[in-house]
Order: sequence, then C-alpha cells, then structure tokens
Amino acid sequence: MAAFAMVLAAVGLSAATPAVSKGRTFDGHPDLSGIWQSMSTANWDLQDHPAQAGPFFQLGAVGATPSGQGVVEGGEVPYKPDALKQKQENFKNRWKDDPEVKCYMAGIPRANYMPYPFQIVQTPQSILMTYEYASANRVINMSKTPVEASVDTWMGTANGHWEGDTLVVDNTGFNDESWFDRAGDFHSDQLHVLERFTLIDSDHMNYEATIEDSQVFTRPWKISLPLYRNIAKNAQLTEFKCVEFAEELLYGDVRRKAK
Amino acid sequence: MKAQSWLLASSFAVGSLAFGQSAFEAPKTPWGDPDLQGVYTTDDLNGVPMQRDAKYGTRRFLTEQELAERAKEVKAERTTIDTGVRPTTGFWALVKDGGVDAAAAPAQWIEYARHATELTSLVVDPPNGRIPPLTPEGEKRRAAQPKYYDMRPASWEDLSTYDRCITRGVTGSFFPSIYGNGSQIFQMPGEVAIRYEMIHETRIIPLDGRPHVSAGLRSYMGDPRGHFEGNTLVVETTNFIGGKVDVGGVPYSEDLKLTERFTRVAPDIIDYKITIDDPQTFTAPWTVEFPIRHEPGYQIFEYACHEGNHAMHNRLSAARALDRQEAAKAAQADSK
Repeated sequence: MAAFAMVLAAVGLSAATPAVSKGRTFDGHPDLSGIWQSMSTANWDLQDHPAQAGPFFQLGAVGATPSGQGVVEGGEVPYKPDALKQKQENFKNRWKDDPEVKCYMAGIPRANYMPYPFQIVQTPQSILMTYEYASANRVINMSKTPVEASVDTWMGTANGHWEGDTLVVDNTGFNDESWFDRAGDFHSDQLHVLERFTLIDSDHMNYEATIEDSQVFTRPWKISLPLYRNIAKNAQLTEFKCVEFAEELLYGDVRRKAK
Repeated sequence: MKAQSWLLASSFAVGSLAFGQSAFEAPKTPWGDPDLQGVYTTDDLNGVPMQRDAKYGTRRFLTEQELAERAKEVKAERTTIDTGVRPTTGFWALVKDGGVDAAAAPAQWIEYARHATELTSLVVDPPNGRIPPLTPEGEKRRAAQPKYYDMRPASWEDLSTYDRCITRGVTGSFFPSIYGNGSQIFQMPGEVAIRYEMIHETRIIPLDGRPHVSAGLRSYMGDPRGHFEGNTLVVETTNFIGGKVDVGGVPYSEDLKLTERFTRVAPDIIDYKITIDDPQTFTAPWTVEFPIRHEPGYQIFEYACHEGNHAMHNRLSAARALDRQEAAKAAQADSK
C-alpha cells in the first residue's frame, strides 16, 4: 500500500515534477536502465489474433499460439496491395520462413517485444540495449553528431535524443530480412523506425514505434505497448544463444546420414 | 573495423607499456568510479604471438631494434592488405588454407596493426610467456577438439563454436583476431557493460556484490561479478559451459575461472590483464596482459556471423560431395 501511495503522490505532483519515483540519472534524464520485457503477444502477431494450434501436434498446448489484442494503432497494418499478398504468403510459410525460427537477429522494433527480456545500460553519450534472444545488441548514439548508416544491418543504425522525458530513437540502415512478428509482417530495406520510450512510473514504460516504409506501406503506422521492468532482486539477463537449436533445420540436408 | 584511421598511427608513442610511471591521473565518472568508458580495439596486437618464442626468454618487450623490425613487418602487411592481397608474414604465415586453392578470408576482411607493439607475447605469466602444460584430461580434450581444417565434417558438430557462429567465449571475443577486434565499455552506478564486436557479444557485470548464480545456470559467456580495487576494475567470471570453447588452443572445462583487471593507464589506453584458472585443463593458472587502445575513427560494426554463415552449408555440402565421390570410387573398385 505504501508503494501505491507513493505512486499516487508522484502522479499528483506531475505538474511540478515528473512522475518518476525511481529517480533520474546523474545528468537529469529519466533512468531507463534495467531489464525490461513486454507482456503483449505482439511477437506472435502485431494485430488482433485468436489462439491457434501450433505446427506440431506433438507439442500440444505448449506449441500453440496464445490469443491476444493487437498493438497497432487503428488496428490494421496499411500494406500496399502487392505487399499484402506477400504478407499472406509469409503467414502461410511462417514456421519455415520467420527469421526467428532460424535464430536470426530480430531487428527493430521486434527485438523489444519478443518473449525474452532486454537490458538498457544508459550513459550520456550512448545507450546500450542488449537482448537476451540471440545475444543481439544495439548502441544508440546520443551525441550531437548523428551516426550515418554505412551498411545495412539487422539491428539498424540508431541516433537518439531526449524530448523532455521521452527517449526518441531514430533508426535507419536496416536490411530487408527481419520480420515484425511470427505472422509474416515484413518490411523492405527502406524501413525507418522512430521509437519513443517514456517511463510511466519507475517500473513501467510506454514503448511506441512509428514505422515508415514507402515500398511496403501506404502510410506510416504506429505500434504502442507497455514494457515491464523485471523487479526480481536477483534479476539479470541470462543467455539465449539459439544457433544450436536451428542448425539441424538449417544444415540437416548436408549432414552425413547414418548408414 | 577500422575506418581510415591508420594515418594517425605515428601519434602512438613507442614505449606505451611503460605503465604507471607517468603522472597520469585516471579520470572518474560523475559518481566516483574510475572511468573506463569508450570504444577500444586490439588490432595493434595482430602479429604478437600468444606464446613467447624461446629466444626472448623471460623478456616481455622487444628491444628498439626488434621493434623497428616488427614495425617494418606491420607496414608491409598493411601495404599488402591495402592492395587487396592477403599477407603471408607474421600472424598470417600461420593461417593455412588446408591445402585447397582458396583463401581463408579475402584481404578486405582482414584487420592489421596500425602501430607496432613491443610485446614479445600475449602470455606474461608464467614468466617465460608459455602456457603451462595441460593436465592429462586437458590433453585428451585438446586432441578431441574440432579441427578448423577438417575437410570432411560429418556435421556442424565437427566444427568449432566459432565456425558455427555460436560464440568465441570471453577470451576469444577479446583476444586479437583477424577481424572484429572492437570492444566498447559502458558504465553506470553499480554496473559495467562490455560489448564485443566479435559475434556481437555483451557482458553485463554487476558491481553490487551479489553472489554468482548456482551451478545449475551455465552459459558460454559465464557469470561475471565485478568490483573496483583502486583504479582497477576486477571482474571474476565463472559458471561456464565446459568442453566446447577453447582458450590457448584447448577447450576449457566448466571449472574455468577468469579474473580480469582493467586499468586505464593513459587517456587512450587501458591495460587489460586476465588470469585463466582451470585446474581440470591446465597444471597452473596463467596470465595474459595487453593494452587495448582507443583509436579515433574506429567503429564497431554489426557482425551478423550466423545470419551470414553461408560457409557452413557450403562446407558441409562440399564434404558430402567428397563422400559421394569416395562412395562412387569404392563401388567402381567393387565391380572390378
């Protein structure tokens, strides 16, 4: 109850001071450092989706897709007609073609709402976001000199700045290989992602990503979801190196068969 | 990866390892910890052997004349690489192609030293710069490990965790290599993070004195715990997965304990020292020490190793072709 009262007090004071009870970094910005995870089912499908059986009956309920509400503002992803056909094709082949199946890096925004945690290490010059899934990471350049993407990458090239108490991250330089979810939502190498991280209170933040890709979508669109801090006393990021779990799938055809 | 920066090479003073004698005052973070932050590279260590040549005895540094010789070699390598040819001297003389007419890596993949380093070896203890003898079990493990130049792997399991783009472990991620020698240190109150260019690893090192996780939770990069001793960050790492990743040419056991010491000794140089203690594998602990250097213009790039690992499918596919060739020959011999 005491903690609850403190949150209320903080909200009440929000006109004068930001509603952050955890405090701030030494340079005065909201402290986003810590281990975060989504509770959404966005990684299964960004849009509203019912529960579905998984691809292998042997896995029963364990392999099934949970139902969930979408995180796309307005509900629909505004695909161009040809791109929509591609998405539907991707959906059909999702258990084979989703880069997550192959343990490939998730890209942005997907890395932030996978069912694995990620950790933020916040410094004035750069912010490290390191992801449990596939040991992926990215560094957001916070200096006044923007970094230009010199090559296309999975995790993109990120330049950040603070707009009041919101961390705004501008991402470019993506390849066209990552997906947004297990339902086949995709993009081209023209992807531009503008992210906004805003603390709601010390243990919750709102995550928004505006997605722009004129080759695939008719207009920019936005996802929005909360992220939750892992408040366990002994919380630490553990390791999920998944290459070994994908090798039979990727290279099984050229393994020496037992005679 | 470097970014057009070796022109700045001459600013690197010879004798950089004469640490601790200057009046250098280590910078502090706003909350009072020694400030180790920045982007660093070990590219300059390319050409320094892991173990010391017997001719140097217990001598850790090259003489001025020997250093001038190495500087010549470094320059020659740089020139060959810049002209798109893989060098054949120094470290590169050790890189063999398994007898096939193909290079291990094209020249543009390769990093090289921008400054000659005066170290005679990376190993500094034992004082002869040699890795202590292996235990019998360590010898067994060394003999059984995957061969990089195995031309007929039955599967990926016959290849190393590096070939498979899984990991090179803590030491392999940091020790100088043909590429991917960048690292970046981040600090917050109570925490240090190190990001490695090699296979995009990150280690988060808590400084809050928490105990290690239990033996039931093991990982390739281990479970690091850190604290400061004066201006030095000391990191102890345990809870490794044993038998898969090598250090000093032999896969270490799950009892491996690494003790690392990071000390800023000049505005752009951190002295890095690591003691490798694995009684199941080595008959004594041994220590590697080298400087890591901040180099203006050096950028860390995403190394999507697994995502781009076409080599794995190609190698296995080639091995199966050899299998078929052999089977056909055998069938032909049978029919005669």
